Amino acid sequence: MKKTMLQAGRILRHEYLRLISVGCILLFAVLPLLTLAFHVTGSDLQYILKDRNFAEAIRNSLLYTTASAVITTVLALVSAYLLNTANLKRKNAFVVLLTLGMLVPTISVGLGLRILFGTNGFLDLLFGWEIEVRGFPGLIMGSVMTSFPATFLILYDALHYEDKGPYDAASIMGISRISTFFRLTVPYLRIALISAFFACFTLIFSDYGMPMEIAGKVKTLPMYLYDQFMSSFQYGRGSIAGFVLLIPAVVSFVFDVVFRDQSVSEKQKRLIDAQRGFSRIAAALIVVLCVLLFLPQLAFISLSFTKSFPNDLSFSLEHIANIFSNTHGVGLTAYIRNSLLLAVLTAVIGTCFAYLLGYLSVRKTGRLGKAIDLLALSTIAIPGLVLGIGYIFLFKSTNGRFYGTVLILIVVNVFHFLGSPYLLAKNCLNKINSEYEVIGETLGISRGKIVAHVLIPSSVSTLVEMFSYFFLNSMITISAVAFLCTYDNQPLSILITTYEKNSNYEMQSVISLIILFLNVLARSVFFAVTSVLDRKQSKEVEGGIGLSRYEFDFLAYLEKNGKGIYSQRKLADDLTITLSNAARLLHELADRDFINLFADGSMEISEKGLHALEPYKVRKAIILAAGFGQRLAPVTLDTPKPLVKVNGVRILDTLLDALYAKEIKNITIVRGYRKEQFDQLLEKYPTIQFIDNPEFNLANNISSAVCAIDRIDRCYICEADLYITNPDIINKYEYCSNYLGAKVAETDDWCFKKHQGYASDYQMGGTDCYQAFGISYWDGEDSEKLKADLRKVYASRGGKENLWEQVPLKIARKNYKLEIRKCHKSDIIEIDNFIELIAADPSYASYPGYEEYSGK
Amino acid sequence: MAEEKSAEIIRCEHINKKFKSKTVLEDISFTVNRGEFLSLLGPSGCGKTTILRMLIGIEKPSSGRIIKDGADITDTAPKDRNIGIVFQNYSLFPNMDVYHNISYALSSRKLSREDIDRKVKEIVETVGLEEHIYKKPKQLSGGQQQRVAIARTLVLNPDIILFDEPMSALDADIKVVLRAQLKEIQKKLRITIIYVTHDQEEAFALSDRIMVLNDLRIAQLDTPYELYHHPADPFVKRFIVDHLNMKVKSIEDCIKEVHP
Repeated sequence: MKKTMLQAGRILRHEYLRLISVGCILLFAVLPLLTLAFHVTGSDLQYILKDRNFAEAIRNSLLYTTASAVITTVLALVSAYLLNTANLKRKNAFVVLLTLGMLVPTISVGLGLRILFGTNGFLDLLFGWEIEVRGFPGLIMGSVMTSFPATFLILYDALHYEDKGPYDAASIMGISRISTFFRLTVPYLRIALISAFFACFTLIFSDYGMPMEIAGKVKTLPMYLYDQFMSSFQYGRGSIAGFVLLIPAVVSFVFDVVFRDQSVSEKQKRLIDAQRGFSRIAAALIVVLCVLLFLPQLAFISLSFTKSFPNDLSFSLEHIANIFSNTHGVGLTAYIRNSLLLAVLTAVIGTCFAYLLGYLSVRKTGRLGKAIDLLALSTIAIPGLVLGIGYIFLFKSTNGRFYGTVLILIVVNVFHFLGSPYLLAKNCLNKINSEYEVIGETLGISRGKIVAHVLIPSSVSTLVEMFSYFFLNSMITISAVAFLCTYDNQPLSILITTYEKNSNYEMQSVISLIILFLNVLARSVFFAVTSVLDRKQSKEVEGGIGLSRYEFDFLAYLEKNGKGIYSQRKLADDLTITLSNAARLLHELADRDFINLFADGSMEISEKGLHALEPYKVRKAIILAAGFGQRLAPVTLDTPKPLVKVNGVRILDTLLDALYAKEIKNITIVRGYRKEQFDQLLEKYPTIQFIDNPEFNLANNISSAVCAIDRIDRCYICEADLYITNPDIINKYEYCSNYLGAKVAETDDWCFKKHQGYASDYQMGGTDCYQAFGISYWDGEDSEKLKADLRKVYASRGGKENLWEQVPLKIARKNYKLEIRKCHKSDIIEIDNFIELIAADPSYASYPGYEEYSGK
Repeated sequence: MAEEKSAEIIRCEHINKKFKSKTVLEDISFTVNRGEFLSLLGPSGCGKTTILRMLIGIEKPSSGRIIKDGADITDTAPKDRNIGIVFQNYSLFPNMDVYHNISYALSSRKLSREDIDRKVKEIVETVGLEEHIYKKPKQLSGGQQQRVAIARTLVLNPDIILFDEPMSALDADIKVVLRAQLKEIQKKLRITIIYVTHDQEEAFALSDRIMVLNDLRIAQLDTPYELYHHPADPFVKRFIVDHLNMKVKSIEDCIKEVHP
């Protein structure tokens, strides 16, 4: 009874948490908007409907916003397409450069344009180009520059992760490329394009930082709203303007909610094999775009180092030096501290809250979860300006305790930026196996512990990304914070607006530069953290034991067969796996960049894939060739058996050729009988090294293995008298220790049986077994064991009488799990006696002295 | 006087389950004996997994009782039932190595580090994973992951382990090896296993008894021998007998069937 109550209590606590979260979002994101409505009176509405300025502001805003949103979307689409299609290295670097604009406040971009163009602008001073851009040209130019990064990212991601499956299907059905473009690419991108356009439109429509600098006499809607609040104190009218400002955002949000599921596809890369010429042109265009986008930044950076703009353009560090001094101008230290404090606290609290919301909405089903999801997403739609005003109305009465403190700035930022990080958290948590909590329940591990020990460690890189989003946006925002900060807690970005009012270009530039500098620094730190995490993770996956058996087989197969077109059916057949597994492997390996896929359907192993195979590379081969070869006498009376020619080729050459073909050139031959004759091999195989076994006629071949014992490590150990007809029985890579064997119904040779997948029962002669061929591979771990065991057996009494392979296959078998590497019996011809020699090479039938030895 | 443990370990009595207005199980009653290997077999969507989820306690029956060792556990929390579960995808904790996956449940109980270490090493040996103890799940094959999942539940000495289609993600040739291993582990530890599958062969290869589910109810609960020789109704005959017979038909016969 008590237990059920406890359990009920736990469930209740969980529901409490959800209720509190819903309450928080309602209080801090929804209610502020509703309070706006309470301040609107009938007379306000009447006034504003007749107000010419209002109508003009709307008209202006719609005009330049539409124009710039169209331009931006087209520009973003083209550059996303170029970057996706071009065959370029370091694509991510281009992405970083193209989205650099995200690191400065929009007002700084306006500032940059203002000091670049116009009378006494840099272009005028340097080249005599006097171009007046204030008004619509400047607004459009600035809007394109400020909205480009976000729009580009949406489209770049959409193109990057487009599902390749339909294209494969279309090409199999023989549908032309042009047709697939219109029937697949365009419909696929349509939703992403509309979504990007809306996002871009909203961004431009509600921004007031950039227009502040560059709009000139053109009044925009956000500026109208700002004036109503800050100069005319007409809160009702301002609120109406706020609602109008909300419209595009709401439309955009509804569109996204309705169509989101359709536009999100599985992460599957569509790599297009681009022409070289095309790639160069694409690269050139992107570089030009990067430069153009960077011009405003360049302008304010230059101005920060200019002695006295526009009169004296010589280089000077005066402005920079003044940053920290209070005597000349304003000491910026306090503002930098404000900004960093606000950004860090917003990022910490925001990340925790967004992750909690993600957890509450994804990891447990129920209606409240859906409510949280919708509410959290809806915050994307709220323009910062409107949110800021709502906060004034709602919280003004808490002056000193909440209003007017840093806390309200943090809260408003958290809720203003909540949408995107929440989405990140949600997607990340959605991907994590949903059964961990159930497992935890059955094992008696609490939900909290599962979150702390399993979920959070599995989402560290997402958390860094969320933190980064909150941090960078807090550093550059002016919209909501502008209404709520006080003189004491004002961050850097707001300070720009103060200096804008008295046209102090130097201070504005220096502050913009500081923000840019801090953000670049922060981003580098985030990037470093992420790449350390990534490397750690990929090290875990790829290091040494990283590939699964299937992955290994797949990659080794691709490496061996080179670039080509492999259908999933062929892969499944050749690798003897199921079709669904072949598809899954292909998908996963492409996802990890281990294979390169091309538009024509072909594929090849990538650099990274080769790197992942590296630990499995066969390092060397040790060939045991010391024996006498009694049964081939008289041929072996003066020639060691490995050097006997069969059909004009030395027996050992077949093995050496096979090894050389797979780039295994570190070869050690242990020789004894007629050892000097082996020197002739050096002519053809210069990398061979010899070890002499002085005991070859006293001990069995274990002595030869012991001679080369220090060289045993990730190597083949081979007998020297195998006449190999299929060189592919030697592999460049091996997954684990194995012994070559051919399935036979009956044999009187050495053979073993398969027990639980591994070789066992090594014996002379048997039925329904594997005939052992003297080629085995030893991985790193087993090499160490083998060395120890060989030494032990060799030193034991009578140990020298053993064949070396009896040690791992029989005497110390429990130490090893030797796989049987299957080959066909005809891959190797065994020549154990003279009759077999004649069968392989009839010319030996007339060998002198043969009758005498064969006993005829 | 020590109480003799009865043969019965768990019993379901007249269990009904509805999701909203949709009935998914109707009047399910059965008994499982100690050390038994029972399979729940049926077409997909027949409620096999729902029974499993009710036994483990993450789903409550709409009516009926579950009795374990004589006590009603219908409302007992999952962790107090002493029943373990292995999911289809194993759900190993991805950031922990084999050792910590297994020791995690122990470390949240009051046990000394030595005790935990001893128990984990013991279990690891039982399932034959000694050389993989410090590997992460990603570095293991499907079969090895499954053994970790089994070890993770075994370490708490459960009375029963439930398996939710544990082999369906694996290739056919590995399945056969894993079946043998699973059976071996069960025999070694004499543990009760309730095993959900939709694979007739698998059920026949492993089970002492098989519960065939169809149309919300138990169609037949019997030994493989009885199921095969005396199917209770046409469904069981079609689902079990005909299916297994088809497997042993020659390819020529199958072709003839399609192209008479």
